[in-house]
Amino acid sequence: MAKLKYPNPAFFRAKNKMDWKAQGENLKEIGGIVGQMLKETDWKAAFQKTVDNLKADGKRVAEEYAAVKAMTKDQRLDLLKNGEKHLGKLYRSGAMATVRREWRGVKDTGVDFAEWLKMWGMLLGTFSKDLVPALNATLWYRWMISYMCCVGFMDKNTMGQRGTALKMSHLMIYDIFRYVAENLVFLAKCDKKNGNSEELNKKVVLFDEMTMGQIMAGFPDLLGIPYQLMPVFLVSEIDQLTCVPYIDAVESFGLPADTCPVPSSECGALVIDALPHMGSCFISSSMPCDGSTMASSYMSRRFPDLPVFHLTFPVRYEYEETVEDAAEDIKACIRFVEEKTGAKWNWDHYFATMKRFNQETAYELEKWEVNKTDHPQIIGPCYELFRKWNYEMDGGADPRTIKTFEKVNKLMLQAYERREEAWVGKMRYRGIVWSCPAHYYANFSNWLANCWGIDILVEMESLNFTKPMETEDKEKALQDLARLYERMVMRRHTNGGYHNVVDELWRQVEAWRAEIIIMYQNVACKNMATLQGILDEQAREKNYHMIWIEHDLMDPRTVSRKTMRDKVNEYMRTVMKAEPVDPTLCDFDDEACM
Amino acid sequence: MRDLKHLIYFENLLDNADNELVEQAKAEGQLALGYTCFHIPEVLLNLPGCFSVRLRAPRTGSIDIATYYMSNYTCEFARALVERGIEGGFNFLDGLAGVDACSMMNRFYEHFELLKMNEKPNFFVTHTDMPYKVEDYSVRHYVKQMRIRLLDVIARNYGIDTSDAAIRQAVKEHNEVCAILTEIGKLRKAENPVITGYEYHVLNLVSYTCPKAKILPYLRQTLEELKTRQPDPKPWYRARVAVVGSEIDDPSLTKMLEDCGAMVVVDRYCYGSTPGREVIELNDDEPALDQICRHYMQVSECARYISDEKVQQRRDTADRLAREYNADGIIYEQMKFCDFWGFERALVSHIMSTEVGWPVLSIDRPYNARSSGQLRTRFQAFVESLEIKRIQKNGGNK
Repeated sequence: MAKLKYPNPAFFRAKNKMDWKAQGENLKEIGGIVGQMLKETDWKAAFQKTVDNLKADGKRVAEEYAAVKAMTKDQRLDLLKNGEKHLGKLYRSGAMATVRREWRGVKDTGVDFAEWLKMWGMLLGTFSKDLVPALNATLWYRWMISYMCCVGFMDKNTMGQRGTALKMSHLMIYDIFRYVAENLVFLAKCDKKNGNSEELNKKVVLFDEMTMGQIMAGFPDLLGIPYQLMPVFLVSEIDQLTCVPYIDAVESFGLPADTCPVPSSECGALVIDALPHMGSCFISSSMPCDGSTMASSYMSRRFPDLPVFHLTFPVRYEYEETVEDAAEDIKACIRFVEEKTGAKWNWDHYFATMKRFNQETAYELEKWEVNKTDHPQIIGPCYELFRKWNYEMDGGADPRTIKTFEKVNKLMLQAYERREEAWVGKMRYRGIVWSCPAHYYANFSNWLANCWGIDILVEMESLNFTKPMETEDKEKALQDLARLYERMVMRRHTNGGYHNVVDELWRQVEAWRAEIIIMYQNVACKNMATLQGILDEQAREKNYHMIWIEHDLMDPRTVSRKTMRDKVNEYMRTVMKAEPVDPTLCDFDDEACM
Repeated sequence: MRDLKHLIYFENLLDNADNELVEQAKAEGQLALGYTCFHIPEVLLNLPGCFSVRLRAPRTGSIDIATYYMSNYTCEFARALVERGIEGGFNFLDGLAGVDACSMMNRFYEHFELLKMNEKPNFFVTHTDMPYKVEDYSVRHYVKQMRIRLLDVIARNYGIDTSDAAIRQAVKEHNEVCAILTEIGKLRKAENPVITGYEYHVLNLVSYTCPKAKILPYLRQTLEELKTRQPDPKPWYRARVAVVGSEIDDPSLTKMLEDCGAMVVVDRYCYGSTPGREVIELNDDEPALDQICRHYMQVSECARYISDEKVQQRRDTADRLAREYNADGIIYEQMKFCDFWGFERALVSHIMSTEVGWPVLSIDRPYNARSSGQLRTRFQAFVESLEIKRIQKNGGNK
């Protein structure tokens, strides 16, 4: 089998067929909006705000200078070598970004800056593969603008990290950003409003962002894109305010406000036409929950020309007799893709990809083993996001990812040998995250470690299917693929019976020796909400520290990030009688900050 | 119209899950098997020696304890059942047949086990898996689930005969109930019907909640009575409506609607008769279980089915029934916090109104809706709007 480059360079080269007249009209409309905005701007107030910010900057610099001046020689040396320790000062009320980058000490600031440059280089290099549609997408979709802040997202996720932990975080987030950048270029090229590449659209299979990507491993000639991932899910983790207009739109349309913001946002994005019109077919799914199941009818409604296959798996996935039905559905899905694209399922490529995925899973298990020890090494939001992305979206497809696994594993083992601290000087409590998490929106794992020294060793969404996938027998392979899909992120726990999320939590708490359970409570997740009392009751019986944190995923209007943090602050002060590691992070305003 | 002879008796039967007829059957040694979801074929719970009870929580008051367990933003029906179970209202049951179809109802079954609501030695709660679409392989899956997770459990725990012959016998009795209710239901098509929507709702509900053999004589008598019942000289209603959506097991909701002047001519909701009261036609070539499962999948109008043809079927059925029964408008309703019907209602009420041309009222409602002043106001406003539309259609003045 010829070795294929990933992603196929021909996908970038596919010819666009832009309607320049339509682009001109859109540009005119955008120009009108910008003109209106300029006209309506209160320039006096804007000027005053700039002056105020400059004054605040001046004051901050003076304070920082005075603080350094007041330090002893050893403290200055420590600042020079290990960086600053009061991260709350980086936030300014009402600002969209931090006041400056974090000082991590000479060496780590150097590392961080080099990674920052590398990231920008990759982003520019990727977008320049077909720059015009990619840039033009910013004139069609407001969510594209939020991606301009992606490097800020990286900074936020690595805040407070030093040494090997910082290097590992950068390695992992780089892969995710590369995947996103490449897919943004593809979205722009395919979109009928934009690049309108017929050549590429014939090759594109869209799948619901809540559907795993592994099925595409059997179609090396096609390009699988998790459709709403870039315009809805991922962008909302970078900028929590992105989905607010989607949610408002669909609620105005009549959708009850108590539904999960994920499918609500997906449907809302359709209502206000924020999703590109593209692809040869769409794979929807019944996963992970009732709300997601129903969102697919909105998709069919918006794009009636797009053939849809509904991939549906048994909810009671642990019943062995259900595997047959699940595998049959996968077969039907494969036939559907073949029929709609003309491509043929390739077993060799599928098995090769699954072998790589198995290797990646083995590396993941090594991480878990290290994190279960007294010297956990690889924790924090970059790792959490990487695990989720690799398990759900990459799935062994990109050969470059395995190299990252190798590098990270090497660094992790070296750091473990040296007994390094993943959060230097901030290792106080072993924590576990359970239920639908909100940590990316609120940068919560990072904040927990930096503010209170609660180190999240593992989260519910990481603990999925780890059995090696079958790579020889075709029938067994399809059954394994079904098992994998049935145990997708979140579904593995919230479906199939309460024991998967209740009993499993107690098992994991024991296995990881967690002292604190961060129990996220998504106010719209019915699967979890219906177990609230049982979880609470059993945690009390077992004498665990469980901190309930209400949130509404990408809708910060229901529960703000500050309110979420306050829940931990209260618990730590009143129940644990603890003092914060960094008191400046207990109370700060980041309502508008990405 | 003169009152139906058994109406008050039927209403009393609906006041408790453990009603007089259930007690009689239990005293005769029959097993009471509870269920809620349409996806458990009722007929499979009515095998010789046992009878089905579709669970309700009539006269629900506080659901505070269930809310502690399941939070306050989840399906009130599921919570009301948990509360009733905790109160001991389902102690008469010998088994509970659950479907993991919607997450909140599934949690009701699980709480039944977790909180040990019924500790009879052979009591069982079974969880079956239900497909999301109708394909050959998903029908096979459904059949397998009903065999392994339901019939085998009943046979194992209580020694009930679950053979093909026993199933066919149950279908026979089931079909008689369905035939009677279908015949009665069709009476609602008349311009001046001899039955109200409320009365039909009561009749249909007793057929779900009482042992079939016990309720049949009353249903037969009621059908005969209706054949000679004289309607009022003029139709009593101001408008005719089809009600479409999620579970309604409280006839007082229908009563409230009819008090506002809207006769419910179509009950296309969960616990209603369309689907639910279709005769199951069996042939001799195929096992009865396979045919029953296919029948239930095909007639189901549950919003959980996501395949395109089922989505379209739901819209077509609502439209067809509303036309057949001469409805003036459609009320799309959902139990508050129901995800399936929440998404479905928002989209379909829009489609039925803007594309199919039906006047539509779209509501979400609490489980205990009888005292909702807000709903009453909305029903009244809808009836008025239907009247105005009729006047406009007739060229302005009456």
